[in-house]
Amino acid sequence: MEKILSMMAGSVWKIHVQAGDRVEEGQQVIILESMKMEIPIEAETSGIVRQVMVSEGDFVNEGAILIELE
Amino acid sequence: MNSETFRDENKDKTQENRIRRLMDELLVKSDALLDEQRPDAVLKQHSKGKLTARERIELLFDQGTFIEIGKFVQNIGMETMQGIDTPADGIITGIGEVDGRTVAVSASDYTVMGGSMGKIGLEKQARIIKIAKEAGYPLIFLMEGGGHRIQEGLDSREFARGSSGSSFVDLSLMSGWVPLIGAIMGPGFAGPSNFASLCDFIPMVEGSTMGIAGPKLVKAALGEDLTKEELGGAAFHTKVSGMADLTVKNDEECIKEIKKYLSYLPSNAKATPLQIPCNQPLNNVDQSLLKLLPKSTNQAYDMRKILDLIFDHNSVYEIKPQFAKNIITAFARINGKAVGIVANQTRYMGGILDSAACTKASRFVSLCDAFHLPLISFIDVAGFLPGSASEKAGLVRKSAKLLYEFAQATVPKVSVTVGKGYGLAYFAMMGGRTLQSNYSIAWPTAEICAMGIEGAVDVAYYRDYEAADDPVQRRKQLIDKFRSQIGAIRGAEGFGVDDVINPLDTRLLIAKTLERLPEKLLKEVPPRKHGIIPI
Repeated sequence: MEKILSMMAGSVWKIHVQAGDRVEEGQQVIILESMKMEIPIEAETSGIVRQVMVSEGDFVNEGAILIELE
Repeated sequence: MNSETFRDENKDKTQENRIRRLMDELLVKSDALLDEQRPDAVLKQHSKGKLTARERIELLFDQGTFIEIGKFVQNIGMETMQGIDTPADGIITGIGEVDGRTVAVSASDYTVMGGSMGKIGLEKQARIIKIAKEAGYPLIFLMEGGGHRIQEGLDSREFARGSSGSSFVDLSLMSGWVPLIGAIMGPGFAGPSNFASLCDFIPMVEGSTMGIAGPKLVKAALGEDLTKEELGGAAFHTKVSGMADLTVKNDEECIKEIKKYLSYLPSNAKATPLQIPCNQPLNNVDQSLLKLLPKSTNQAYDMRKILDLIFDHNSVYEIKPQFAKNIITAFARINGKAVGIVANQTRYMGGILDSAACTKASRFVSLCDAFHLPLISFIDVAGFLPGSASEKAGLVRKSAKLLYEFAQATVPKVSVTVGKGYGLAYFAMMGGRTLQSNYSIAWPTAEICAMGIEGAVDVAYYRDYEAADDPVQRRKQLIDKFRSQIGAIRGAEGFGVDDVINPLDTRLLIAKTLERLPEKLLKEVPPRKHGIIPI
C-alpha cells in the first residue's frame, strides 16, 4: 500500500479525489495552503484511492498521511 | 658457407624461437584475464542483469582507446590468500577516450572475490588516481563490492599503513581540479561508498546500495533491522538522503548518464568547457512561455517547462532531480555554451527553501564555479521554511551556505526574478544587487520585498488595524497599499535590478551577456588562506 504524505505543514485547502478513484503518477490529488500559497500534492505512483485521511480545512504536519493508495 | 655464418644463423633462429615463445606466453597470460576465459563468473554477473567490469569499460570508452594499467597484478599472497586467484586483483584501471577526451577509470571486478578491495588492487587504484591528478583527466569509479578485502585487512602490519588512505589525500586535492564520478553499480556499502563520497557525481544503478555499513553489520551493532534498500538503496539515496544524484535502470544507462554529465564539463579546471554549435535562434522563444506563468503568484507552476523553452532544446540536465524537488539544479546550454541553473520550483512545497534545497543548491553552485559554468538563477521564492524541523536541521547555517557559495563564485552570474523574491531567500538566490551578479533582471511578474505582505501586515500593523473601526477593512487597505509597491518596475526605479524585460527576451539577453563576459571575473579577496564554508 502506497501512502501520499504531506511534504510540509499547512492546511488542507482542496481535495480532488475520493475513495475508489484511480490516480495516475504525477496527478494532483490535494492542494494544501501553506505560507499563503497553494501547495499542490501529487501522487508519486499510480493506484486506486483506498482512503482519504484528511478533510478540507484540516491542519496537517509535515509527513502526515493524506491519502492511502492500493 | 663457413662455420662462422652457420653459427650466427643458428643463434638467430634460437633467439627468434625464444621471442616467439615469450610472445605466446604473454598472449596466454593476458587472454586468461579476459571475460571469455572465465565464463562461469561472467554468467553469474550477467544473471543479475549486470555487466562485467571489462564490459562496462568497453561501453564507456571510444572504441579501441582503452589502455589498461596493471592487468597482470595478483594479490600479495598473504597466508590467508594462499591458492586464491585474483585476476588484476579485482580492480581494473586505465586510461582511454570518452567522446574524444582522455578520461581515467577504476572499475571494480565483482567476479574477483566479490569486488573486495585488495592491497595491490588499491595500489593500482592509487596510481590511476595520481595519474589523473597529475595529467588533469576526469576520473571515473565504476564500483561494486564489499569494501576492503577482509582476508588482507586483519593484520596491522598491512592495515596500519592504510595504503588506500593516501588516495583520499589525492582525491581531496583533486576536488574542483577534475570532474570526479563515483558510480555505484552493485553492492556498495563501506569501501565503494567511501570513494564515492569524495566524488562530485554519484549515479546509482537500481538495486545497488551505498552507506557506511550494510544491514548485517547494522543489525549486529544496533539491533536495527532494515532491508538493504531501506538502509541505502538507490531510491533512498536519490530521494531522501540526497547522497546520490541519479537512479539509473541498468549499467548501460549508467554509462550513458556519466558521458552526458561529462559533456557539460571541461576536463579540468584549466580547460574551457566545450562550446558546441547551436542553430537555435536566440530571439524566437516559444510564446507558450507566457502561458506557463500562473495567474496569481500564490499558484504553483512548472519552472522546468519554462527553463526548457529558454535554454537550448533538450539541453536542460537536472542534477539530483528526485531530491529536494522544490529547487531545480541543472546543467544546460544557451547558444551552445554550458551553464548551471538554480531555479525555484513552486510545484513542490511552493518552492520554499528548506535545508535539503539549500544543501542541494549550494553544492551545485560550488561545482559550477569550480568548472567555469556561469550561474543563472530563476527566482520565485516566498522564503525559507520556518518551524522546528528546519531549526533542527540547522537551516540558518544551510541558508548561509547557499549565500556563501553564490557570493564567492567567480564565474559570470545572472539572476532572473520571475515571481516572488522575498526576504533573505531572495538574497540567497542571488536576487537584485544582493550577491553582485553581473546582470540582474526581473520579469514584469516579479514581486520583491522583505516578506509576504499579509504576514508582514499581521506582524507589524496588528495594533493599527485592530484599533480601526473596521479592522478587516483596514487590514485589507494596508495589504493593498503595500502590495502596490512591490512590483518589478518599481524595483528597477530604485535600481535594484538592471532591467525589467519581456520574458521572451530572456534567452537572447542571457546568451549575449555571457558571450561578452570573461570566464572568470576579477574579485578582490582579503589576504586570507581560505574561507570557512558554513557547513
